[in-house]
Amino acid sequence: MPRFAYFDPHPAQAVTTQSPLHHFVASASGEGSAVALREHAFLDHLILRGEPAVMIDVVQSVLGLTLPTEPQTLVLGDAGSLQWLSPDEWLLIVAAGDGFRLQRALCEALGKSHFSIVDVSGGQTVLELHGECAVAVLMKSTVYDVDPGRFPVGKGVTSVFAKATAVIRRVGEERWELIVRRSFADYCLRWLLDAGEEYGIDYQPAKARVASARKSASNMEAVS
Amino acid sequence: MSSTQSFRLASESGVGSQIDCDKPLSFIFNGKSYPGYAGDTLASALLANGVDVVNRSFKYSRPRGIVAAGAEEPNAIVQLGSSEAAQVPNVRATQQTLFDGLTARSTNGWPDAQRDMMGLIGKLGGPFMPVGFYYKTFKAPASMWLTYEKYIRKAAGLGRAPTESDPDIYDHMNRHCEVLVIGAGPAGLMAALAAASSGVRVILCDEQPVFGGSLLDSAETIDGMAAFDWALDAVERLAALENVTLLPRTTANGYFDHNFVTLHERRTEHLGDTAPTLDGRRQPRSRLHRIRARHVVLASGAHERPLVYAGNDVPGNLVAGALSTYIRRYAVRPGKRLVLSTTNDYAYRTALDWQNAGGEVVAVADARANPDGELVERAKAAGIRIISGSAVVEATSDRKGHRVNGARVAAIDIEGFRVSGEVELLNCDTVATSGGYSPVVHLAAHTGVRPVWRDDILGFVPGQTIAAFEGFGVVGAAAGVYAAAGVFESAVTQVKRALASDGIDAEEVQIPIVETFREGAAVAMYQVPHDKPTMRAPKQFVDLQNDVTAAAIELATKEGFESIEHVKRYTAMGFGTDQGKLGNINGMAITARCLGQTIPQTGTTVFRPNYTPVNFGAIVGRHCRELFDPERYTAMHQWHVEHGAKFEDVGQWKRPWYYPQKRRERADGKLESMHEAVVRECRAVREKVGVLDASTLGKIDIQGPDAREFLGRIYTNGWEKLAVGKARYGLMCKDDGMVMDDGVTTCLADNHFLMTTTTGGAAAILEWLELWHQTEWPELEVYFTSVTDHWATMTLTGPEARNLLSELTDIDLDRDSFKFMEWREGIVAGVPARVYRISFTGELSFEVNVQANYAMQVWEALFDHGEKYGLTPYGTETMHVLRAEKGFIIVGQDTDGSMTPEDLGMHWCVGYNKPYSWIGKRALTRSDTRREDRKQLVGLKPLEANVVLEEGAQIVLDPKQAIPMRMVGHVTSSYYSPTLEHGFALAVVKGGHKRLGEKVYLPMPDGVTHVAEVVGSIFYDPKGQRQNI
Repeated sequence: MPRFAYFDPHPAQAVTTQSPLHHFVASASGEGSAVALREHAFLDHLILRGEPAVMIDVVQSVLGLTLPTEPQTLVLGDAGSLQWLSPDEWLLIVAAGDGFRLQRALCEALGKSHFSIVDVSGGQTVLELHGECAVAVLMKSTVYDVDPGRFPVGKGVTSVFAKATAVIRRVGEERWELIVRRSFADYCLRWLLDAGEEYGIDYQPAKARVASARKSASNMEAVS
Repeated sequence: MSSTQSFRLASESGVGSQIDCDKPLSFIFNGKSYPGYAGDTLASALLANGVDVVNRSFKYSRPRGIVAAGAEEPNAIVQLGSSEAAQVPNVRATQQTLFDGLTARSTNGWPDAQRDMMGLIGKLGGPFMPVGFYYKTFKAPASMWLTYEKYIRKAAGLGRAPTESDPDIYDHMNRHCEVLVIGAGPAGLMAALAAASSGVRVILCDEQPVFGGSLLDSAETIDGMAAFDWALDAVERLAALENVTLLPRTTANGYFDHNFVTLHERRTEHLGDTAPTLDGRRQPRSRLHRIRARHVVLASGAHERPLVYAGNDVPGNLVAGALSTYIRRYAVRPGKRLVLSTTNDYAYRTALDWQNAGGEVVAVADARANPDGELVERAKAAGIRIISGSAVVEATSDRKGHRVNGARVAAIDIEGFRVSGEVELLNCDTVATSGGYSPVVHLAAHTGVRPVWRDDILGFVPGQTIAAFEGFGVVGAAAGVYAAAGVFESAVTQVKRALASDGIDAEEVQIPIVETFREGAAVAMYQVPHDKPTMRAPKQFVDLQNDVTAAAIELATKEGFESIEHVKRYTAMGFGTDQGKLGNINGMAITARCLGQTIPQTGTTVFRPNYTPVNFGAIVGRHCRELFDPERYTAMHQWHVEHGAKFEDVGQWKRPWYYPQKRRERADGKLESMHEAVVRECRAVREKVGVLDASTLGKIDIQGPDAREFLGRIYTNGWEKLAVGKARYGLMCKDDGMVMDDGVTTCLADNHFLMTTTTGGAAAILEWLELWHQTEWPELEVYFTSVTDHWATMTLTGPEARNLLSELTDIDLDRDSFKFMEWREGIVAGVPARVYRISFTGELSFEVNVQANYAMQVWEALFDHGEKYGLTPYGTETMHVLRAEKGFIIVGQDTDGSMTPEDLGMHWCVGYNKPYSWIGKRALTRSDTRREDRKQLVGLKPLEANVVLEEGAQIVLDPKQAIPMRMVGHVTSSYYSPTLEHGFALAVVKGGHKRLGEKVYLPMPDGVTHVAEVVGSIFYDPKGQRQNI
């Protein structure tokens, strides 16, 4: 009997594909922008759940990533990023179209252990803030202490963002990512554009997605 | 120098550190144009121009002038703004930096403060307006209050709100630091320097545009430098440090539990009455900093306390230190001839400043018998006449009361509270007083701890703080330490102690070397005795902003108000925006004197946030207009907007409510009413096919070997036998046996289920599952993940649903191979989809789920193919009508947390014989939940077809009974059914399941009583055949 019903959501041919922010246009920032805002749309997002002891070796062998077991941390690697969410919960973000293959590969490697791997790609998106005023924009938006001296590169937290929630993480010296839910994305973007106006926030919409060929012949994949 | 600024000192005088004489500005006050300089406050510029009357008083409408130089100013409250949208009420002229074109008006006085009509009433009313006047006069008859109030409000008040929308933007900024220093006077600067040297994060704020506090007015030297230069140097050193944030023009307004402090930063109010743009970008006019600090160092200084004497509210009466501020910072000496009345040495500095600035010091009346401090000696040496053992008992004025013209000075007996000698009238235009200092304890009092009186400094200091404010310390004048050496010492000691508690050794900080004076002891005096008794003497004001006099307080105590809190409320002392900054201590002292007790026995009232008024914009920040509350959108939201949908709020979601179309039969192009749209949408679903955006339903992915067992415990019904490929309706109860949520859960694979929840319940149900798993059943191997936003859901429903969908999918839709309550995977419109055959309308339905990014591909394709089938988008209102016709409940509408599954007639959905107990089972066997007269869900059919009962209407069995009637239930859902061509309702009725066929009555407020028949809750297709076609 199949234990899990994994599902490849990506169509085989090019179809209309919309990020939750598809209706926004570029901001008129011009000269002297101190913060840039970009959406990294259409990536594949998987929620991994399991005891660290169960996950750690498999994550290393399948993804080549060290499972972050320290709370509020993330690791970045060639395969993508892996974010600690709770003691038995991680967010894996990988290139568009890789999710389904990795879902099955992880499942196979995890064998009979207890775990869950859930595709949430359609349910959230990644926003990147970049520039010297990125921190100031975040300070207007979250009560979390985002002082770069206290929030090193590689830290990521789930916290209040305006009146919504976001994963807030620092991926580079002046580079921060926000992971927001699809249904709140419009609100979050409006908020960021408003909060960033003072710093001449420069927003460019994500490029329209070019559909990749499906990785599997059948979309119905049951894994036993 | 402008000839009209007749009180401005020549630039050669070497004073005026804060103004720039090379940058003249002009401003308008009460319609008249005046000159000033960059760096001026509105108050200093008004004084420079000799504007004595700046306002009218609140109650008696007396002419009032500027009294102080800072946040404590009670009189000079102005209305700012050159346009309607830019109106700002309640601005203290002493805190408003001058800018070119500034336009201000007095808040009180009609037609203006100079020629005031209300003053007449004040003069007439004065003797007839004792304390508690409003309470006494306007309370009865109660019905007349509304009439009185209009006139009282017109006559009183502190400005008005703009009637147009504010053009400015505001924001919040969250900050964290180890040390927050409030106040940048000598104590604050020193504390910040000491803290910063250890490398921890320091925030230093001050309400003034320039840091330095009292150092800016001081003639002392520090480390061999002028105090002013030392302050400048300290600020430069702090500004160079990366770990220090300096916030000038920023007032700490509220201090809350766990060292949360709100700072109000005025970013552009010194530049214009609306914020100027910078490179075409809007800037926030003001910003609320929300600080979380490990340690809070309160260095808020002290306010000089004026004395209370007759005529002390006439323009020309000021607190002594304010004169030094105006002379030294702004080069303004607002008079020619000064009489000073003091209880202490410090006020002598003002006499010396006045004389050095070319003014005449007529005399210093010192309440002490033998003043002998060093500053006193200096004044004597400067030839100033000192009248010891005396005080100004009354300031006299011109006929209009517009300016002081003399001071009556007399020998006084403080102990005996009487004038003990001849009264001498001194000719002067300015009276300055000092009764000592009141530490600014407001923020400390926000912690809920009352200040403590100290006899040695004659003032209240902050009390011992409580645990929630661990890390709080008070330094400098705020702690009652006034001499410079002690101030610096206290700051360094406090910071060291604070950092040491965190294991941080502060760097050794050099305490600056300062001059020390031999200081004579001050004497305690608050109200100056008059040659007449208080009740008969000319008014001696205690609280200038609220027009509270010494006589009023005396009367209040005679009328039996003994608690200081009652005196405050009866007299209005320390009310409103003033918060008793100048008057409170004097008022307490007078209360104490009248009651024959000490000040500590009398106690003090509590100061509350905010310290000074904060504009609403700063409080709101950017949580306004379109950002007031998040709006959650589905992947098809833009399509709904473009197709004219009206939206309904469901939680934070925006769901299409109905889609009004242009009426075909009418040429005027008017849109359908909601009723018309819903009738059309309902018919489309029942006769052809409709589509609903159902993406908002909560969806939870459940995986693990014990997933099935977990479902059995969380739901009331059984899940042991649900096969892969099948779906089942489930009902959830709370542990009290009451229905809390429902939805369809699907078996995707052996260890894999997808649960759906109500739209509003999604987040709470996920928490509920985690709660029971983590706290009660951790042994079950199961994980939950929210996938609500991942899937876009389109409900295709109606007799033509199969025909339409078959054009777009490779899934075999045959009724026998894809049965009701099953699901399939396949391609729909080129997109991989999961399709569920479940129905909330009673019609043949397919719920198409795709990854949300591809939703519009499928949604558009449905409409491309749907026209020939009459595909109609429908909203939540039609969904409600259709489901109610089928008797399907909506949790939260037909239930209210007091309905059991049995109350709802859903016995079929409860599995008492399941192998393991489940949530709510025990509660459902209690006698109360088994009662037969519980409110039970039934259908109601009004006798008249066109009646639509009101939701919430109460139901009675006998319409003729006396009021209050015995109510047996109420309507929960009610609509007009286009299919039945009849109104119909769901309702809960006591013992309703046994009342089928009975008539019930619904008396309405308008006198009409509706009659309805109790029927079963399923109105349409009771056998459920239509969903199985």
